[in-house]
Amino acid sequence: MGAETTVVGKSLPLIDAREKVTGRLKYAGDLPPLHRMHYAKVLRSPYAHARIVNIDTSKAEALPGVSAVLTHKDDITGRKKTCNTPWVDPSFNFRGPMISQEVCYVGDEVAVVSAVDEDTAKQALRLIEVEYEELPAVFDLEQSMLAGAPKVRPWGPNALEPSLFRWGDVDAGFREADHIIENRITLGNQQHAPLDRNACIADWDGDKLSIWTSTQALFWIRDAVTDFFELSPNKVRVHSTPTGGSFGLWWGNNFMFLAIAVARKAKRPVRLVLTRDEVQTTVKRRERPLIDARIGIKADGTMVAQSYRHIMDNGAYGNKFDPYQSVADIYTTPHGKAEFIGVATNLLPAGCMRGVGDLTLAYAIEQTVDMAAEKINMDPVEFRLKNHWRPGDICHTSQEVLFAKLLFNREPEVALTSSGLEECIRKGAEKFGWKEKWKGWGKPSSVDGNKVRGVGLGISTHISGLAFFGFNGITIKVNPDGTMVLTTGIGRMGQGGDTTQAMVAAEVLGVELGDVNVVDGDSEVCGHTMVTFGSNGMHMVARATKAAAEDARRQILEFAAQRLEANPEDLDIRDKRIFVKGSPEVGVTLKDLMSSPIYQYLSPPEVIGRASKGVEFDKAGKMMICDYAEVEIDRRTAQLRVVKFVAYHDSGTIVNPAVCENQVAGGYCQSLGMATTEHLVFDEESGAILNPNFMDYKILGPLDMPDPEIYFEQVYDEDGPFGAKGIGEGVTCAVPVAISNAVYNAIGVRLHPPITPDKIMRALKQNPR
Amino acid sequence: MEYFNPGDLKEAYEILKKYGDAAIPVAGSTFFMGHREELFDEVDAVVNIKRLGLSYIRLEKGRLCIGATTTLADLHRNGLTSKGPFRIFAETVRELKIMEVRNAATIGGEVCIAGEVDMPTTLLAYDADIVIGSSKGTRTVSMSEFHKGYLKNALQTAEMVIEVQVPEPGPRTGGGFAKFERTAADLPIVNAAVRLTLGRGDRCSDVRISVGAATVAGIPQRANAAEKVLLDGAPDDERIRKAAAASSNVKCVNDFRASAELRALWVECAVEDAIRKALAHAREEK
Amino acid sequence: MQPITLNINGEQHEVSVRPHWSLAYVIREKIGLTGTKTGCEMGTCGSCTVLLDGKPYFSCLRMAIDSSSYAITTIEGLDADGKLHPLQQAFIEDHGMQCGFCTPGMIIAAKALLDENPAPAEQEIREAIGGHLCRCGTYMRIVKSIQKGARLARGN
Repeated sequence: MGAETTVVGKSLPLIDAREKVTGRLKYAGDLPPLHRMHYAKVLRSPYAHARIVNIDTSKAEALPGVSAVLTHKDDITGRKKTCNTPWVDPSFNFRGPMISQEVCYVGDEVAVVSAVDEDTAKQALRLIEVEYEELPAVFDLEQSMLAGAPKVRPWGPNALEPSLFRWGDVDAGFREADHIIENRITLGNQQHAPLDRNACIADWDGDKLSIWTSTQALFWIRDAVTDFFELSPNKVRVHSTPTGGSFGLWWGNNFMFLAIAVARKAKRPVRLVLTRDEVQTTVKRRERPLIDARIGIKADGTMVAQSYRHIMDNGAYGNKFDPYQSVADIYTTPHGKAEFIGVATNLLPAGCMRGVGDLTLAYAIEQTVDMAAEKINMDPVEFRLKNHWRPGDICHTSQEVLFAKLLFNREPEVALTSSGLEECIRKGAEKFGWKEKWKGWGKPSSVDGNKVRGVGLGISTHISGLAFFGFNGITIKVNPDGTMVLTTGIGRMGQGGDTTQAMVAAEVLGVELGDVNVVDGDSEVCGHTMVTFGSNGMHMVARATKAAAEDARRQILEFAAQRLEANPEDLDIRDKRIFVKGSPEVGVTLKDLMSSPIYQYLSPPEVIGRASKGVEFDKAGKMMICDYAEVEIDRRTAQLRVVKFVAYHDSGTIVNPAVCENQVAGGYCQSLGMATTEHLVFDEESGAILNPNFMDYKILGPLDMPDPEIYFEQVYDEDGPFGAKGIGEGVTCAVPVAISNAVYNAIGVRLHPPITPDKIMRALKQNPR
Repeated sequence: MEYFNPGDLKEAYEILKKYGDAAIPVAGSTFFMGHREELFDEVDAVVNIKRLGLSYIRLEKGRLCIGATTTLADLHRNGLTSKGPFRIFAETVRELKIMEVRNAATIGGEVCIAGEVDMPTTLLAYDADIVIGSSKGTRTVSMSEFHKGYLKNALQTAEMVIEVQVPEPGPRTGGGFAKFERTAADLPIVNAAVRLTLGRGDRCSDVRISVGAATVAGIPQRANAAEKVLLDGAPDDERIRKAAAASSNVKCVNDFRASAELRALWVECAVEDAIRKALAHAREEK
Repeated sequence: MQPITLNINGEQHEVSVRPHWSLAYVIREKIGLTGTKTGCEMGTCGSCTVLLDGKPYFSCLRMAIDSSSYAITTIEGLDADGKLHPLQQAFIEDHGMQCGFCTPGMIIAAKALLDENPAPAEQEIREAIGGHLCRCGTYMRIVKSIQKGARLARGN
């Protein structure tokens, strides 16, 4: 358990809250124009798969006001080598050349124009003449895997080599089982759909490149750009502005490369802003899963074997061969198998979206587990309590294991560190009123005329970062009055990361949050920081922040020890004052210490705390989630509404409760959208997206759902700073399956997201109760 | 593209005459601005019609006369349309839970668009007439004849809508409006409006049931079969349900937003809800 | 191009505009007030809401050329006198935001509500922001913040 804290644990306001409420905070699209700046627009393929036979840009280039036109003929090919992660190219729609002669999805980039204003750039696009030769396209996952399927893109097979995890003897395990339950699931196509439309400004000054863009991935963009354009890191400066929402969308994206390349050709700064439609249809979406799940249980409900085959739709350029999940280990069985296969299709590229493989696979597992519990007429809460994993259990399928093998050809055993999952399940059941609401299998929770209610739950886990994301370099500089400046490369995308990192530093240094300024978003100023994904901020990056703060603290105490003629070990800092433990009246304020000259130097001291820390992969905690849902189906109108939702989370120590509560509420909202309304619709013939914006890609609003009830089970994690783990993505993972399980309880039909009134209507017709 | 802001109708009509089909009258401008990419090459003259004195709501000789540039917010607030026999107008606006659109959208604009809006459905149920003006004078077309297809209506070149007229309902007449959407801030997937009069013995002596949004090109249709069920009968639960069921034969669009089958289901539900609201209102009215 | 004068937050701005330019575009790109956001440019997200004579409009659907005879209020106008508006104070204290992109629109819409209805019920608050999306899903605390802003404005 941790010692009492004065800053950590409080719902202190965000340090950038004032900027946000006054409209002063600038996102990439708000930045003022640079001198001589031009504006870019992108011409995109109307075909899902085609070869550009001829492209004539002469009329566009001749249009007054046009400064540059780029096409595949400019042959901007980057080196295929990426930064040190082998699994994915930073741009996530790597295609060898930045603009390809073979377009592989509707919306694929064909040309970029820069011009004096957007109207001129749009006009220029209309003057570009393109002759396409259509090529066979494949949209269906399973069809894409067949021998003889059209090749989706110019390289590689459509289906990547499977990632395979095995433990025990899964065939023997299933032979032992009294019941085997099989289930196949798929989900809708969810897209990140952030409210902001990203922009990238690129400016070359001789051979030095500066770019401004909103991103979670400051250093990844820096590394991708140095790689792709073959530059030294000293020649690239990335300024990352906060994102207006990201959820995994704004890493390195192709449109950023386009801005850089067209700026170089135009010999001017260029700004490229995406339209709403482009944000939702040309960058990235969540990979759609097709999962076959198989669970073996004994008659008393003990799970003995589990096997999952998880195919994911990577779209045209996605390269994931692992969905990023830990949930395949959430039930402890002596035997198991998990197989993940990334498959390409001629559709919008797919990749990580908040929750990743834990959301998709938790859906499959938690529905199949419900089916297993139903088979033996066991309460689904009891089933989970009986079988869920506990600290010390081996994580057979996690990426730490995968990457130890890939990078070092070693196969370590990684065990689960801390877990409050059991408490989350039990206490969640209590808060929800499970005992009163659960009437048994086949019986809805309540019926009132046409309104029928059902209840369900889902559990999940999620990483709190992964070690191989990299080391983190953090500095803390102390000002003469005892205020301080923290530099960090953490991304600001609404998760409050700058605030909570500063809270960790303030706690260590005995100052207030208001005393800590955070400087982020500059690749020249900030130390290398992991990309802010995989929920690594608090559990991993903050270890370096804490270490940097401790380094600063050590320096402060040494100076204070001189001044107070004491030993540094005998000193403590609290409320901006250093004092002798045991004789607290003997002390000096931080301000006095930092601003008073020292005899040997005839000047006041300087303190810069710094740390560069990696994370040992076996000291990586995982967050735990249990969600309970009560839904009501109106049998007359086929409409669904959520009546009650309880979310119980173990993310270790909660550094800022309001920030974390907002994260849980946000994940509930996004995943409720996934469960009920969100679905990118691809035209079956052309592969074009029929609902490219908020008009028809429906995300939920303030009138669409009740507030969730949110609880935290704060199990102190020994490896996390002040006992904290991550939270940002787990918040989405169990919501869709809790809803789906509740719908089953209400109407006796298993429906896959999005659970629309159309699906409910058809289900009610087929299964009138 | 030129912009005009005429101060009187004569001036406005001259501009429309001059530019013909390349002119577009705007008030709230939500339609023009929402479609400005597609319209960019077609439009040579944008004509602001807000200074032509067309924002009013008044009762004249037994008819409610609403100027074309009256906003949905005006209809929501005004005493004539929020209480009493015409309160269905405020009710209809209340179902659009977007304040910014209420402030900008006008009844004239909504009349011109079928499908993505609510007012035409209500106007059809209330036997509205659309008054059209041009340099040649004015003419009147009933709401039922106004829409011809998706974004096609009875307006000829150089004409514009200047007023909507609604006959005052007889005594003991009530109105009800109901809508189905995917989320609370959405285009209507189905909407329905009912105007119902109670006569001798509390039987339904007159009824209009109109269904919109779900219909082909979104053009509101009268649900004649449903009306027949209610007419001359006592509007009890069974009859109301039977009428609602009869309305689901209105031909519905099938698309990725909702299947024709779901739209038909929602037509039935919306009609039932609207009938009940109209009945409750009729019982209040003298 | 037509010269117009826009009255924004009590200050006059002279700009030349084309008929198809939205008020949002002119406010952001020509006058440089970027607090008003353009998430969708088609009236479906609420991030561009400004007040015209105190009433909320989507500035992305409003023609700039038709906006010159109104008193326009953008988010920058709320603390122009150096003091935060009670709503702004409340959003800070009660964490009514995460990424902050929808925040200006939410606060402006809430201000319009409170100016007309100083003690709104929860449902009225939700309807006042009915056309506003928050992809971060912060609705719970946005509503709480507006309720707090209302109390602060009433002096409670």
